[in-house]
Order: sequence, then C-alpha cells, then structure tokens
Amino acid sequence: MTTLTRQDLNFGRVVADVLCEFLEVAVHLILYVREVYPSGIFQKRKKYNIPVKMSCHPDLNQYIQDTLLCIKPLIEKNDAEKVVVVIVDKDHRPVERFVFEICQPPLLSISSDSLLSHVEQLLRAFILKISVCDAVLTSNPPGCSFSVLVHTRDAATRNMEKVQVMKDFPWIVADEQEVHMKEPRLVPLKSMTSDIIKMQLYVEERAQKT
Amino acid sequence: MDELYLDNIDEFVNDHNKIVTYKSLSLALGVHVNTAKQMLYHYLEHKRKESSPQLHATYLVTGKFVGNGQTCHKVSIVREDQLEDFKSKMSLIVSVHVYSVQKALLKDSGPLYSVDYDAVKDNLKNCSKYSAIRCAGAEPMSPLELQQTLKVQIHPQPEPESSGTNRGTNTTSKSNTKPQKGIMGMFSNKPAVKNTSNEVKPEQKEDTAVVCPLLLLVLVVFAILLKVVPCSPQPCEKQDSAAAVQHQKDSRSKTKRVEDADSEEEKMDKKKRRRIKRPDPDSSDEDVIPDSPQPKESQPREISPKKEKTETGRSGMKVRKRRRVLKSQTYLDDDGCMVTEKGFVSESYSESEDDFQASKPAQRESSKAKPNLSSKDDDKKSQKKAPANSNKGAKQASIVGFFQKK
Repeated sequence: MTTLTRQDLNFGRVVADVLCEFLEVAVHLILYVREVYPSGIFQKRKKYNIPVKMSCHPDLNQYIQDTLLCIKPLIEKNDAEKVVVVIVDKDHRPVERFVFEICQPPLLSISSDSLLSHVEQLLRAFILKISVCDAVLTSNPPGCSFSVLVHTRDAATRNMEKVQVMKDFPWIVADEQEVHMKEPRLVPLKSMTSDIIKMQLYVEERAQKT
Repeated sequence: MDELYLDNIDEFVNDHNKIVTYKSLSLALGVHVNTAKQMLYHYLEHKRKESSPQLHATYLVTGKFVGNGQTCHKVSIVREDQLEDFKSKMSLIVSVHVYSVQKALLKDSGPLYSVDYDAVKDNLKNCSKYSAIRCAGAEPMSPLELQQTLKVQIHPQPEPESSGTNRGTNTTSKSNTKPQKGIMGMFSNKPAVKNTSNEVKPEQKEDTAVVCPLLLLVLVVFAILLKVVPCSPQPCEKQDSAAAVQHQKDSRSKTKRVEDADSEEEKMDKKKRRRIKRPDPDSSDEDVIPDSPQPKESQPREISPKKEKTETGRSGMKVRKRRRVLKSQTYLDDDGCMVTEKGFVSESYSESEDDFQASKPAQRESSKAKPNLSSKDDDKKSQKKAPANSNKGAKQASIVGFFQKK
C-alpha cells in the first residue's frame, strides 16, 4: 500500500490520463446514443474489454481530442469540478446536459494489485449506463449539435488562458444559457467511488425539447 | 413456479434500468439457464398483459440458413421487431428463446455483451454452473496436476540435450548398471578413472554446480579418448623422473582418470566435472592423449595453453591438483582438492618457483604422502629453528636449507 499526495505529479497524470480516456469514450457514445450525428459514422471499437462506438469522422475526432487535451492539465491539478457535454438544438438552446462531476481525494492509498481493474470495472458500468440512457430520456429534436463545458475554480481560468495560447485552441467563457438550464429534469445515471477518483454522472434534461 | 422472480426481474428492469439477460439472471438468482429463459418469457408476457411501460426484448434464434447455395447453422440475436422477419428467412428453426429484457431500445448488441461480461466476471468460478452445455471430460485441473504439466513442458527441453551427457555423467554410478552405451561401459571398466577424476575435483569444484549438458557430452567424448591412455603402462613408470614429471603428469592424470575409478558416486561426479573443465581450455586433448606413452611427445602439452597445469615452477601459476597423479599418493588438500604428490604436495599450493625447485628434491624423498605431511610440518618446525641462526636474513634460504639438510 502506497500513500500518495496530490503533490505527486505522477498521480495527477495517472488520474488525468484515465479520466480523459474515459471522457473521450463517453463523449463518442453520447453522440451515438442520442443520435446527435448519424449512426453511420460510428464504428465499433473496443475499450475496457467491451465494444463501444466511436466516430470515424476525422474533424469530429480531432475536436474531441483537442478539447480533452486542454482539459487534462486542469484535471491534473484538480482544478476541474465538472465536465459537461451539452446537446443544443438548432437555436443553440441546451436540450440535454450530461454532467460529469469529478472529485479527487487529496490523500489516497494505492494498492497496485487491483486498482486499475476496479476502476476499469466502474468505468465499464458508466459506459453501460450511457448505452441504456435512452430508456430514461426523451428523444431529441433533429439537427442538434453539442459542446463541451468545463467548470473550473477561479484561479484555473488564468491557466486556461495560458493553455489557450499554447495549444492554439480557443476557449471562451460559456454562455449563461448553456451553463444553466431552466427547470431541468434531473436524471441520475451512475456514480462511482474509487481510490483515485470519485465521479457521478447525471443528465439535466429540458422538460420540453421541441 | 414461484412468482417472486417476477418482482426481482421487475426491480432490475424498471428500478435499476438494467439489461437483464438470461445468463445474468441465472447467475443472479442461481437457477438453470433454461429456467432463466422461461422466467424472462413469463415476465415479458406478464408485463405486456398489464400494459405497463413498454419493454423491449431480444431473442436468440438458431437454425438452418441457406445462403449462397450453402446451408449453415446460424445463431443470431435479433430484436423483437426484427424477429418475425428473421425467422422467415431461416430454412429450419431449431430454437427461439428470449435473450434479454430491457427498457431501452438497443441500437446494437454491444451492451448485451457488457452485461454478460460483468456477470461472468463476478462469477468467474461458477460461470458454467448453471449452463446447459456440459462436457463430462472437461474438468478443471487440480493445482498439483497443473504443476506437473508445467514441469513436463519445461523438462522435455533439457532432456534431449542431456540424454547423452547424463549417461556419461552418471558413468561410475550407473555405468555398471546401465550399459546402454559404449561410453558407459568404458567408464565402468576403468576404475582408474575415478582417481583421476578426483584430481580434477579441486579445480572443478567451483564448476560442479554449473555443469552444462553440453560439457557433459564433451566429457563423454573425452572419456572415450582417455580409454586409449591406460593401454600403455610405460608412461606411468617414466613419470618418476623429475625431468619428465611435468609431461608425465598430464599423461598420468589422463591415465589415472581412465585407470583409476572411485567407487563413490560423488567422486565420479567430481571427476566428470573435472573432465568437463579440462577440455575447455584444452583444445588439443585428442592430440595430447596419443602422446602420453612418450614423455617427449608430451612436451607439447606444456606448451599448450593449459591453465590447469599444475607445474608451478614453469608458469608460477597455481598448482592444478588434477595434474598431479601418483598411484600411490593421493590425499585431500587444505582446499579439499585431491592431490597426488611426488614429493612437493605441500608446496603445491604455493605459487613461487622456489617451491617448485624444492619440490624436485622432495620428489626423491619417500613417496608416502601422508607421512610427508606430518614429516614436512615437523621438519619445517625443526629446521626452521636450526637454520634460523644461519639464515637470518633470507626466508627463502631457510626453506632451501630445509631441503639441503636432507
């Protein structure tokens, strides 16, 4: 059993890598399940020893990768509180918000034997829940698009500007209407607690989507 | 059938929003898979009669399918809305049963695999406990059997390499009992081999534990060649002369190895080890052996780059016990090495040339090794006192004086 602290950069990087990998799979799966893009652009891939759907469109893939690349430094430093995948309609009004609340413990003890397998099992459960979220959500109107929001602590926004300059990937302050939804219907999907991270996923759904 | 299972399935499907497959249900409730299939079917029928929220189901269809002029046995999972269409395409339907029940309309079969993956993983040791597919001969191996199979997989590799060498290594112990090869017979017929091998013991002591099967094979070959040596008794007699000591030692050592043979298995093992070591630096063993009858011809042995030679006077190297072979004198050295003495056994460990020179006249002394040990020690003590006054400033002179007095 090894006790690590947040000051251990390796630990932060490990968590950031694991989480960014999962978020990439989750975003692709959300886009597939909620039919944001036609199902024809998605192909079956393998992650966490289960089949998942991933887009094969290069621009879409690059966009998702760049987004998560900018989020990774925030996760490393535990500055990211939430990562939200917002599905907006043609009028740029949010229809659904898949909220990933992230919390990392400051002090932890790692047992290298089963740590990753347990986390993998929990992430697999998240993927499965996203796959069947159709049952608890109403269908979306056609022509929807999506965006990714990151809720950070105050001091982290300055770092985001620096990262923006370095990465050449523009990050802007989110619109209020995308951040907050009027009278959303809260649908919890899944929560997990592990040695390295705590995360819960819920969906804020607009009551009337059309 | 007990109706409680309906509540269980309803909890899984509606409350937890889970995908319930017949396999996961059978593992969760501990029932046979066929029973689980019937449960799902009854639950589906029950819920649809109650006109409860819409449920979706998938079916497993197996049967004969004719495609491209070929008939094949097809097993497919189809959604309920595609079931009738799929059944119509089958030439023969063997079985149709409910595969899963869930609230969501699945777009692909990926989540079905995920559900069974976790269910099987959680019950890895009992995943086939309720299965309908059984094989009486398929039983898990016990840990003991598993270890044995692993050993069998490992052992066959060294076995073919050592099959020939082991027989050679086990010469003295098994040669008499297992005359499977001519080599074995040669070792068994030559008791001198044991004594000669004892000489090699001290040199090859360190290597005893690292005997390579290939080296053992070389040993066997060497032993075959050694068989030629003991045929000529003359080199043994000629070894008495001091001038021919060096040459004869090699021949004697080899003859000894062939002629003398220890009855103990350990000595024979050590012999083999010595023999193994010897051929390594000696690339001309085959050339040396025929020269043994003639001491003159054995001179090339000295020239040959044999680090194992025991002639300290020449090279000033460490004495190689195995080289010193005397029929009458064999004893264990302080290092535990077998040494045959011609008179300079005690100096054999020293690396200086004086010891060698002193050993020459010592060879002319009584040939008994054991009494020489004690006598030499006593002589050293006594003579150290005597020449101490005469040879105060020269330590070597005192040793020389020891030999001169005699």
